[in-house]
Amino acid sequence: MTTPTGNSAVVDPDRFGDPTLELVLSRRQVLAFLGAFGVVVPTASLITAIDGSVSKAHAQAAPGQPVPRLAVYTPNWPDMVELWRQLSKDWTALGIDLDVQQGTLDTFVSQIVAEQKLPHLGSMSWGGAPDRLDPDYFISEMFHSRRALKGGLNFGFYKNESFDKLADDQRQAMDLSERQSLVRRAQEVVVEDSPSLILYHRDIIHAYNKKRFKGMKPILGNGIGFPYMPLAYMDIEALTPRKVLRLTSIYDIASLNPFQTPEIYNSTTLRLIYATFVTRDEKAEVMPWALHSWNVVDKTTVDITLKPDTKFHDGKPATVEDVKFTFDFILKHKFPAMGRVTDAVESASIAGDNTVRLKLKQPSAPFVANVLGYAFLAPKHIWENIPANLATPADWPNDNPIGSGPWKLMEWRKGEYIQFAANKDFYMPAKLDGFIAAVVPQMESMVGMLERGDSDMLAWNLDMTLGARISQNPDLEVVRTPTHGQHEVRLNLTMPPCNNVAFRHALQHATDRKKILDIIFSGAGVVSHGAPITPALEAWASPNIKGYEPSIDKARASLSSAGFTWNAQGKLVMPS
Amino acid sequence: MGFLSYAGRRAVHTAVTLVLLLVFMFVLFRLIPGDPTTLLLGTGELTPEAQQRLRAQWGLDQSMLEQFITYGRNLLSGELGLSFYYRRPVTEVIAPMLVNTLMLMLPVVVLAIGLGIAIGTWLGWRRGERVEELGAVLVLVPRALPVFWTGIVFLSLFAYKLQWFPIGGIRETFFYPESWYQFIPYYDVLRHLVLPVATGVLASMADPLMIMRTSLIEVRDEEFMVLARARGLSTRSLQRLARRSAFLPVLTYSAIMVGFAFGGQVLLEVVFTWPGMGRLMVNSVTQRDYPVAQAAFFLMAAVVIVLNFAVDLVYGWLDPRIRYE
Repeated sequence: MTTPTGNSAVVDPDRFGDPTLELVLSRRQVLAFLGAFGVVVPTASLITAIDGSVSKAHAQAAPGQPVPRLAVYTPNWPDMVELWRQLSKDWTALGIDLDVQQGTLDTFVSQIVAEQKLPHLGSMSWGGAPDRLDPDYFISEMFHSRRALKGGLNFGFYKNESFDKLADDQRQAMDLSERQSLVRRAQEVVVEDSPSLILYHRDIIHAYNKKRFKGMKPILGNGIGFPYMPLAYMDIEALTPRKVLRLTSIYDIASLNPFQTPEIYNSTTLRLIYATFVTRDEKAEVMPWALHSWNVVDKTTVDITLKPDTKFHDGKPATVEDVKFTFDFILKHKFPAMGRVTDAVESASIAGDNTVRLKLKQPSAPFVANVLGYAFLAPKHIWENIPANLATPADWPNDNPIGSGPWKLMEWRKGEYIQFAANKDFYMPAKLDGFIAAVVPQMESMVGMLERGDSDMLAWNLDMTLGARISQNPDLEVVRTPTHGQHEVRLNLTMPPCNNVAFRHALQHATDRKKILDIIFSGAGVVSHGAPITPALEAWASPNIKGYEPSIDKARASLSSAGFTWNAQGKLVMPS
Repeated sequence: MGFLSYAGRRAVHTAVTLVLLLVFMFVLFRLIPGDPTTLLLGTGELTPEAQQRLRAQWGLDQSMLEQFITYGRNLLSGELGLSFYYRRPVTEVIAPMLVNTLMLMLPVVVLAIGLGIAIGTWLGWRRGERVEELGAVLVLVPRALPVFWTGIVFLSLFAYKLQWFPIGGIRETFFYPESWYQFIPYYDVLRHLVLPVATGVLASMADPLMIMRTSLIEVRDEEFMVLARARGLSTRSLQRLARRSAFLPVLTYSAIMVGFAFGGQVLLEVVFTWPGMGRLMVNSVTQRDYPVAQAAFFLMAAVVIVLNFAVDLVYGWLDPRIRYE
């Protein structure tokens, strides 16, 4: 950037003696850029700070020397900031000092995940996306050593061959009870190795107007209002003549093209229009949705049968041709957003009147839940006719989305709202006529709209304080639903003293999860026993895991047994 | 003749500034770590392998120079490119938000400058009186209050308690006409405009007002004013005369205000659920949506620069004392 010179009007100072004018003129070019600087500079300075702390943290803690201040990086959400305030206090009893840095989520992701620059510790929370109901995500994606690469979620560099084997085996175990036992053993290994302090599974708290609507269906990880599970909206019934529900959410979608984005809010919202092949019921068990049934023929062959008499929103019948086309189309274009399908499916062929045979690339236990629950039925007559001049069909705006799902799109006004009408031809038609999801970026406004009666459902995660206030209103009902999402503190296992398992056990003991959950979320949630899968998901949780009793004495004992000592100032000293 | 060569020189400078600005914006946003695919990665929705495919598809695996050449070539054919986040042409993404923002910010700017000039003249004229001291403080207080705070107070009072105005939004999202007057065109939007405009004006009025006041105080005792007074002009005529000479600095400042108006006011937009440029710009930076961020920031800066150019040109006409050499 240069400062243009000599371009201001030449002013005779004697005749025009206004110093303000000169000042404003010389300042204006700078002002023009301030907007851009205002956003970029704080981000850039934060990055420098993280880089600094990583290189500092890499300076090895030498044997017999005091443990260095542990560098922490956390997103700047209020609950995370409070978490570290508590931990900083509690861990002083072990003689540990923390150096906590906070920043925005995008900085966290680009540094910790994309660049794998976790300092000693970092905290993160993982939402209850539907595919995470299958244990594969919290086992393999987060802790398999294969995922300890740039962009992978094993950013604490956990490596344990026997764990990796369990994670691989459970992915291939087609027999449910065999898989359950492998998943449970894998979790037991994680709890023993403690690469992460998994803290709690915070409840989802939504609210609605019970004088106007009934039939809300709380589903694990979804609450009553998120669009992740299409079943949540199906039984909602109006108690007044208006049969269109108005809900508020912080998010908006970015695209109407279901092949374009894997972002969860966007992809699940579009799957209200485009029915997935299977979905989850209120017990979070897999049930057919666009499909009539499926049949696992052998480890790498799955037959899927379409529901007869299925129609698309434009009235055209959906056939086995559309099913085959959907998979061929995805495999041909290798949409990054459909990575799960392209990673799993080898080919699709017609195997009967209404049946398509899918050949898998490798045996995959989560296939039905995660691939058939994510892939959706796409109408061949529309997608084979889209303009050919696009770099990829994922770039097609698809302004008039035609699917076979329970809801038809009425209108999407970017940044304002998206409106749906019920598809009465769907095999299980919704009881409502439609619903509108309005984008409201501020929680206080959402609460105000619900209390004033401008909206009927608050479909965003409330905290208990706001929940308690809303409960005061006799028209409103607050609904708490458990989730399989979780909050965790990840440790960088390449960085001493975090590479010492006794040190990690000490942190487990020194972390009073219940106390922290009570303080931050007024106890609204399930305390973790340290396993990645919530005890609420009984099919996969391990009853053998009892967790680490919160006790500073046990924490100190664990440290002593590994040779850690304390100096005269009470600071922790590395084993010599 | 002097004017023409001055205008020509300024036009060249302005053009060079705009080109440099384009380059600057291009580089600036790419200096932030991460790229448009990063956020999806961290929320676990994209595997690292799929991310690589996406980066290749979107041309993000090319060097910055190669990307810049593509960008420049597109620009020359009048294309701002595709938004990474929305996968639509940038103009399609920005246009509706720009309309929303101008709907909100133009009334704010016009009212703030109009009131600023009127009240500033009034205060400046009463220089040294008790009312002037008090007035200056009264104007600066809302200027010092954070916009979001004033906005929330207004909302809780006028929207929540008294229920005179809606809680936010640009129009009735859930539109069910209940009275005949709701069919009056724009009645609905006007109702939604009142609180955010009032908040915006309160916050932004002080700057033009104080500039006007200072400038007027200086002009008030100039020789031509003494002469005018001696000729026995009425106070109203005197004020008008002083205002005309004093408002030039406000004009310069207005160019900047209008430019920033194109960028919206993100705090105002969040508090009042207004879907405008401010929120779009913040989102485009967090999403690393380079084309949208570049275009939006460029638009804002370009308006400031071009308006300044225009202001410089009309200065000589507005104020014959200025000479172009």
